[in-house]
Amino acid sequence: MLKYFFRRLLSFIPKILIITILIFIGLEFVPGDPISYLIPPEQMAFMTEETIANMRENLGLNDPAYIRYFKWLGNILKGDMGYSLINGVKISDIIWTRLPATIELTALGFAVATILGLLFGFISALKRNTPIDYSLTALGMVGVSIPEFFFGLSAIVVFGLTFRWLPPGGRMTPGQPGFFQRIPYLVMPVLVIGISYTATLMRYTRGSMLDTMNKDYVKAARSKGLSETRVNLVHSFRNAIIPVMIIIVNRIPILIAGTVVIESVFNYPGMGKLILESISGSDMPVVMIATFFIALAVLIASFLVDLLSALLDPRIRFGKM
Amino acid sequence: MEKDYILQVKNLETRFKIGKKTVHAVNDVSFNLRRGTTLGVVGESGCGKSVTALSIMQLLPKAAHIEGGQVLYTPSPEQTLNLTDFKRNSKELRSIRGKDIAMIFQDSLSSLDPVYSIGWQIMENLRMHEKLSKKEAKEKIIRMLGELGIPSPEDRFKSYPFEFSGGMKQRVMIAIGMICNPNILIADEPTTALDVTIQAQILALIKQMQQEHGTSVILITHNMGIVAEICDEVAVMYMGRVVEFGSLLQIFENPHHPYTKALLKSVPVLGMGKDTELESIEGTTPDASTVFKGCEFEPRCPFAMKKCTEEHPMVCEIEEGHEVRCWLYEEKCKDDRR
Repeated sequence: MLKYFFRRLLSFIPKILIITILIFIGLEFVPGDPISYLIPPEQMAFMTEETIANMRENLGLNDPAYIRYFKWLGNILKGDMGYSLINGVKISDIIWTRLPATIELTALGFAVATILGLLFGFISALKRNTPIDYSLTALGMVGVSIPEFFFGLSAIVVFGLTFRWLPPGGRMTPGQPGFFQRIPYLVMPVLVIGISYTATLMRYTRGSMLDTMNKDYVKAARSKGLSETRVNLVHSFRNAIIPVMIIIVNRIPILIAGTVVIESVFNYPGMGKLILESISGSDMPVVMIATFFIALAVLIASFLVDLLSALLDPRIRFGKM
Repeated sequence: MEKDYILQVKNLETRFKIGKKTVHAVNDVSFNLRRGTTLGVVGESGCGKSVTALSIMQLLPKAAHIEGGQVLYTPSPEQTLNLTDFKRNSKELRSIRGKDIAMIFQDSLSSLDPVYSIGWQIMENLRMHEKLSKKEAKEKIIRMLGELGIPSPEDRFKSYPFEFSGGMKQRVMIAIGMICNPNILIADEPTTALDVTIQAQILALIKQMQQEHGTSVILITHNMGIVAEICDEVAVMYMGRVVEFGSLLQIFENPHHPYTKALLKSVPVLGMGKDTELESIEGTTPDASTVFKGCEFEPRCPFAMKKCTEEHPMVCEIEEGHEVRCWLYEEKCKDDRR
């Protein structure tokens, strides 16, 4: 188990390196002078051509690309990510205000969607070929096939504008920054971001459940005189979620990528909205760093779910796989 | 001893609904299990042996249901329960499953839950039916594992199924079955998935368990050799019906039904002449959903008569405890009953 854990952890290093290389290449191709996002714009206004040329030399901007890459990487590791081209704010500052908002949104969305997906899939399998199963399947089809922004806009129109039950957008009421005060703002985006994820997970859980429910060990468990609840939960469901874990891991990037659209729809100040704003303002350094953090978030989330699925399967836990 | 039946299956009918078709998997099956003995149920694949076994405790898949008949369980002379009266998965039936009647399945490899340790899985059965502390239960389980010849049972208690070989897994299955000291053990082809040397060990273990605990055993198999080795009585099944029922001697020395005769001729016997050919049964088993007006074996039977196509043969008791379902023995019948 420890070996497995370390192998997974070690694989992080090359993955992160590859991500940073890709981002660096992206930055290289960005139109504009790199010096403009290394120096705060207000300082730059008072500099002559010559000082800038000197600075370029001193900063090593004339060095070969690989040397600059390692310097850039070193700076990022130190927390120095450069400045925004639009408003000259340190990118690290932008990230630290935006990242928690997105983590909150995606973590809650992930948790709610996973619980609902597993629960609906479980019910659907137990009630196979009944009206309950058929309606869940139909809802699942709707959830997978209609894009989330449509659900988002519909939800805003219905619950935000017509009934006024929930705020139509934003993250908090000014002056009320507490988590519980933010909940009304979170309800719609959290539910909407996980719709297709819930639907996919439900279908996979249903299939996996139907598969395990026919297994001999489930019949054997029933022959011990166990209650149906225990047979279904402790034996069928416990085994059914192992393959579903792979789907969960694979869907995490899609869920996180969904923030770009959902945060814009709900005017939610997170990383997704940041990326969209920066792209439309050609603020490439911010786009790159934001992308880097999103990639990192996907890596970490997948790692945690992988770890969880290893804990669920003794064959992985004891190094047989 | 004579009439001391612990389990009587009477006119059992089990149906499968597959789409709009109904498959008659078990038709009018009756047999008796005497206390402390072993009953063999033999027949080829798909003849309804396993469905019969599953019907006893209503462990059938959802598509199947018991249409009629009785399963009378007599744990003590004063008490007889009809198991078909209980609803599937009802409390009454669940208190019998695993405690009074235990079952061992064909494929030990897939009959253990892969995510729990074997100790946990045996414990689950034991603590379901007996109020024991965890420590007492564990001691009892380790003793049982030792009895079943599993080396260093204390360490193996925590092992997972994937860490065991096929034979060891089947021993664990027997441990699960025997831990509550059941009155009846139903073994559904317990050795089919194992190689021959392990088969003998597992059969010897079942026999040993039976002698030590006084368990009555129903052994389901397609292997005539196994039947000859450990059974006291035999029920031969064909196409969902018991075609012949009798003691081991009656079936092997004096088979009456053409199917039983053919079946015995198709099995090699030690010491048979080098040139003696093994006979095969002409034709193939019809599809299970075929509905027959007459005898199911008629199309393949060398002694088929006109009557065989027209009417289902009735059961004749041709000797004390020896029953045959065949028109050939109509006159020999001791008493008429269907």
